[in-house]
Amino acid sequence: MSGNDNFFTIDKFDNYSLVKINKKPLSSELDSFESHLELTSGNHIIIDCDSLNDIERDCIRILLKIHLATKKENKILKLINVNTVLLNCLKKDGFDSTLRFAKNLQDALQEIGITPKRSISTDFIDSFLQSTIQVLKIQAEIDVVPGVFEVAKTKDQGICDISGFIGIICNNFNGSVIISFPEKTFLNVLSRMLGEDITSIEPDNMDGAAELTNMIFGQAKASLNEKGFGLKMALPSVVLGKPDSFLSLHTGPAILVPFKSKHGDFFVRIGLTV
Amino acid sequence: MFDPKTKVLVVDDMLTMRKIVTKILRELGFIDIAEAQDGNEAWEKAKSGHHGLIISDWNMPNCTGLELLKKIRADKDLAKTPFLLVTAEAEQQQVAEAIKSGVDQYVVKPFSKEGLKTKLESTHKKVAARISV
Repeated sequence: MSGNDNFFTIDKFDNYSLVKINKKPLSSELDSFESHLELTSGNHIIIDCDSLNDIERDCIRILLKIHLATKKENKILKLINVNTVLLNCLKKDGFDSTLRFAKNLQDALQEIGITPKRSISTDFIDSFLQSTIQVLKIQAEIDVVPGVFEVAKTKDQGICDISGFIGIICNNFNGSVIISFPEKTFLNVLSRMLGEDITSIEPDNMDGAAELTNMIFGQAKASLNEKGFGLKMALPSVVLGKPDSFLSLHTGPAILVPFKSKHGDFFVRIGLTV
Repeated sequence: MFDPKTKVLVVDDMLTMRKIVTKILRELGFIDIAEAQDGNEAWEKAKSGHHGLIISDWNMPNCTGLELLKKIRADKDLAKTPFLLVTAEAEQQQVAEAIKSGVDQYVVKPFSKEGLKTKLESTHKKVAARISV
């Protein structure tokens, strides 16, 4: 559906309508705009203002009218891709407190609840914490205690001498889990797992980091999938140190959980792929 | 329980896990233990090795433990070989698929020596019952 001279287009989807305003409308075009919008007000409406730097008061009034109509139907109208010039224009007349905004289409769909929120829930983190405690207890007979988790401040925070990592593909997001050990902690853990004294990281023992990651992921996956996360099966890998190729894979936002034990400290880092 | 002289094939792509399983088996008295690092290598060894027990990881590259199990069960010479699957991901759907494919028992990682011993005893009982039928 489109208005005269393509000043706007409307694409209707199952759960929402996407209205693109392609240029500042003429006063004579607004009646047509209003009547087209009224036809969509029974659904969520997302107005894409990407091409707009200025807007007529009459046009804003139409948006407010449709906003109220959608609200009556328990639906939401959101403006997306609103640039600073346009936002200031709306602020000047106080319309910014009435209308609702989202950064872009993806955020709008998540905020409305049409697509799942792309975030790491505490349920998700807790499953990995419990799984880490259990795996270290059973496989290495080590009691570990999680510290307070935080958002990682840098792309290499918590990355130590040897890391096991595994990709996460699930319903809500894609990302990764990294279990990272200082050398001394890793050697202590591995020595207890194998029942022999391991004194250095060697090619034939470094896959212990991947195996621990695999077990932690597997335990967490089982409990998370019971809650509907839909985690897919994945193969773990191991990496030494902080090579750029590795760090560049993990630049998205990440939650960092420090673990302490009498055999050494280590980190679990759960990150999103950007 | 299995005779300690039973020839065992341990299959896992992770050397560390092969070492853990082998260490526990030795502590339980087993002396003849071979290793393979994926399902393909295990298949070659199984065809010529006359193993009395296969303990295989599930999640491996190239040929998974489940694929190896299906090949073993489809081979007239190897079909009755006791087969224990090791998995880090014990979800109901997976377990059902393994049982359908003829696994004798499965063990979930992480596991202790006692945990593996219990599973081996259970596998042995199941296999003994199958042979006596």
